[in-house]
Amino acid sequence: MRLVASAAAGGLFGAGLLVSGMTDTTKVQGWLDVFGAWDATLAFVMAGAILPMALAWRVAGRMYHPVLGGPFPDPPRREVGPKLVLGSVLFGMGWALAGLCPGPALASLGFGGAGGLVFLLAMVAGMVGAPALAARIDKLTLRRSAMDIRALTPDYAVSPQIEPADLPALKAAGYTTIIDNRPDGEIPPHLHAAEMQAAAEALGLTFVVNPVIGGAMTEANVTAQKAAVEASSGPVFAYCASGNRSSVVWMMMNAGVIPADQMIATTARFGYNHAPLRDMIEAAAKR
Amino acid sequence: MEISWLMGLLGGLVIGAAAAIFLLVNGRIMGISGILGGLVDGSGRGNWPERAAFIAGLVAVPAVLGWLWGATTHLTGNLLVIIAGGLLVGVGTRLANGCTSGHGVCGISRLSLRGIVATVFYVLAGGLTMALLRHGLGVL
Repeated sequence: MRLVASAAAGGLFGAGLLVSGMTDTTKVQGWLDVFGAWDATLAFVMAGAILPMALAWRVAGRMYHPVLGGPFPDPPRREVGPKLVLGSVLFGMGWALAGLCPGPALASLGFGGAGGLVFLLAMVAGMVGAPALAARIDKLTLRRSAMDIRALTPDYAVSPQIEPADLPALKAAGYTTIIDNRPDGEIPPHLHAAEMQAAAEALGLTFVVNPVIGGAMTEANVTAQKAAVEASSGPVFAYCASGNRSSVVWMMMNAGVIPADQMIATTARFGYNHAPLRDMIEAAAKR
Repeated sequence: MEISWLMGLLGGLVIGAAAAIFLLVNGRIMGISGILGGLVDGSGRGNWPERAAFIAGLVAVPAVLGWLWGATTHLTGNLLVIIAGGLLVGVGTRLANGCTSGHGVCGISRLSLRGIVATVFYVLAGGLTMALLRHGLGVL
């Protein structure tokens, strides 16, 4: 029954496209040709289609479920991101070039000749290639927006609490070891070390649990952090609540290696005030 | 009022009715790039028969009607333009997660911000491309 309704909807849609003239590329290109012989037909098609559909959304809002069961679609997402904008721009360019969008491309297959088939094949090829491009855009944008990677050195970054969903972007940014400096007691279960570890290891990242209690960092914490950094095959990413503790551990393990002034200045660039720790670092450097 | 506007309005109502049926009966959004894209990239494996049935209807009914009425697409004969257009439409609609039917008809009708933004951008990009290629360079 689902298949019959589906085929009927498809058939009706196709008939509507044909009647409206949208399978004729000159009509579509005429609509886009504002500086030429502008053709307003597409606006009438859109208005005609939106009217019953707006009504349908209202009706759907009063139904518990669709006639044939299953859920209604989720409410629309709200985020307007680079993929939406870039994708729509590319689509618009292709739409103008050939005068076809996906619906009419399929609807005109029966009478579109070889050119219509070539368009469809090229469109399918574009669709198959799109997920890889989408993943690249995700990588590029996630690195800046969702997370705040504070690279103290090219090989060691700190950050406020992250989520499992942030891990692919960290991997993409080149980090190979993730250190969790936050005790589980501070955070909700889905961010506990075991959850994070499973998600990180699934991506092939090394995950080290080294909980630092605020204001009570131990010698063992410093030793463990240093060992994890030395064992790492690539850059290390450490997080706690704000990145503060992860940055203090870094200063302690580098005491005597990097001048205290330089470390205080570096961490200050990311908003951490470690000037009061100067004596402690200098004492550690002498040992 | 021109006759093609009336036909557009009539066809548009039929398109909207199809989208309404797909929503109210099957519980799905009638977005063609999503229905087809899910089939070809494997992401829609779970309900592929429903997708395939929709596409079968979408291809078959206009094929028969077009044969009866003698429809034509007036598609350009320039293969390079056709291929470039197809690639751009395929990549773009999947990247934006929707096309004229999904973002345009189904999105705008529920005042979806994404649908409205997408429609503004693809119409603007289409208009600029047309202006540049037809009136600037004289290609199209």
